[in-house]
Amino acid sequence: MSETILKVEKVEAGYGEVQVLWGTSLEVPGGHLTTIVGANGAGKTTTLRSITGIVKPTSGRIIFEGEDVTRLPTHAKAELGLVLVPEGRQLFADMTVEENLEMGAFGARARAHYDRNLERVCHYFPRVKERLQQKAGTLSGGEQQMVAVGRGLMAEPKVLMIDEMSLGLSPLLAQQLFQTLKELRDDGLTLLLVEQNVHLALALADYAYVLAEGKVHLEGPAQEVSHNDEIRKAYLGL
Amino acid sequence: MIGILVSVINGLLLGSIYGLAAIGLTLIFGVMKVINLAHGAMIALGMFALYFLATSGGMNPYLALPLVAIGGFVGGVAVYWIGVHRVIGRAELMSLLATFAVSMIIIGLGTALWSTSPYNVQINIPGVAIGNYTIPGNHLVAAVIAILIAAALYLFLFYTRLGKAIRAVASNRQAAELMGIPSTRVLAIAFGIGIGIAAVAGALIATLFPFTILSGGGYELKSFVVTVLGGLGNPAGALLGGLLLGFIEGVVSPFVDVSWTPVIEFSLFVVILIAFPMGLFRVGRGK
Ligand SMILES: Nc1ncnc2c1ncn2[C@@H]1O[C@H](COP(=O)(O)OP(=O)(O)OP(=O)(O)O)[C@@H](O)[C@H]1O
Ligand SMILES: [Mg+2]
Repeated sequence: MSETILKVEKVEAGYGEVQVLWGTSLEVPGGHLTTIVGANGAGKTTTLRSITGIVKPTSGRIIFEGEDVTRLPTHAKAELGLVLVPEGRQLFADMTVEENLEMGAFGARARAHYDRNLERVCHYFPRVKERLQQKAGTLSGGEQQMVAVGRGLMAEPKVLMIDEMSLGLSPLLAQQLFQTLKELRDDGLTLLLVEQNVHLALALADYAYVLAEGKVHLEGPAQEVSHNDEIRKAYLGL
Repeated sequence: MIGILVSVINGLLLGSIYGLAAIGLTLIFGVMKVINLAHGAMIALGMFALYFLATSGGMNPYLALPLVAIGGFVGGVAVYWIGVHRVIGRAELMSLLATFAVSMIIIGLGTALWSTSPYNVQINIPGVAIGNYTIPGNHLVAAVIAILIAAALYLFLFYTRLGKAIRAVASNRQAAELMGIPSTRVLAIAFGIGIGIAAVAGALIATLFPFTILSGGGYELKSFVVTVLGGLGNPAGALLGGLLLGFIEGVVSPFVDVSWTPVIEFSLFVVILIAFPMGLFRVGRGK
């Protein structure tokens, strides 16, 4: 078992009066692909937002590489290597694809690896390479998702978190993107994936957390979770 | 005939300065959705800054412009941290009131310090003769400087890392943060640049006409008209909008009394708001 790089400790968080997370805890081991699945509204996105600091946890801690980073501002966490590809892509719509990728590499650490990462993005997403000069907002949904993941890779992540990557993509394209993530993982990248597509996520991941009502309801190696009867009924429709 | 041509040329020269002033307003709106009601006061401060650098400081007015710009930038960053930072992302009324308060403070202080009698900056540059008419040299120089500054801003926004970061924060602040862009600092810088530009526009106006601490108000209103012509939040459109407004002033001024100019301008403002709510020039904004 490799070392834990990111740890979420009993985090409580929410929006104003509404508490969403009720003591969520999870661990992400380096070089592994971890997934969080769960019903709509379970708090998956809120968990990622708490990790990145978009939502400030009201209690609990976020530990990254052994340091308490709970209170750091979002951009400082990105600079450290905690990078989120947010739900709904959130590209800089009126900037070109190339500028989007450049902005991904804004931090000093990322800029130092700009050329290598650009090459890596173009290698994994040849479609993106063809459209570098196009305005990001004019791309198709699938292409936008590739740019969003590409922009995340440009940030030289130590942990790459992706929220709902497969949403709105054709099954074929989703499959391809997941294949790409697997290659990235095999290259040594640590991934934390939130997915609607539980089938694909469990087939691919090393370890899975099932979130329900803001708490970890169940966890285990993805293989085992996918064979769990309750999960099969609730999430896999079997 | 030549009289009208000269009037139009003068209008266009002046229009480029209206455009520059409006760029300061529209940049701030485009990046942080704040309508800066202290815009006119900042223009007026730019006028006085130039006046004191040129008189007490004994500087050549044109060489004093960079100092005015830097002073405007620093002052703008300070105003951002003191008055604007807290109201970003809140209801629009909050930022309107905050910037209005800044405006009242500046105008009040300015009136107390410098009264409201006119000041002017002496400049002697030979004009260019066209027939019996002369295009004043200071107008020509001011227009060239205004256009150069607008072009420099464009190059900055599109070809530098910080400029692109400003556009990224304007486009999607949260995504910018997620990519490691310190968005609050970027907003402060953008606000500083907007104020710096307003101050330089004021300084350029001071090289043309006498002014008081209240003079910024008229240019603030013109900036709103220009901004609506050019599309809110669109710097390239603001320059074109400024030129169009100057052109219109140039065309009508030989025929009507000057007191009609605002009537015509603001009627146009209302018509454009109704007919083209997104502005006439959708340049440089995609789509
Ligand atoms: N900005 C917000 N303001 C208020 N409530 C919110 C906000 N975002 C999410 N919520 C609420 O928090 C709860 C958890 O939302 P969250 O987005 O974390 O769920 P999720 O597990 O990602 O769901 P989905 O699978 O639908 O994306 C939901 O009940 C939602 O209504
Ligand atoms: Mg979600």
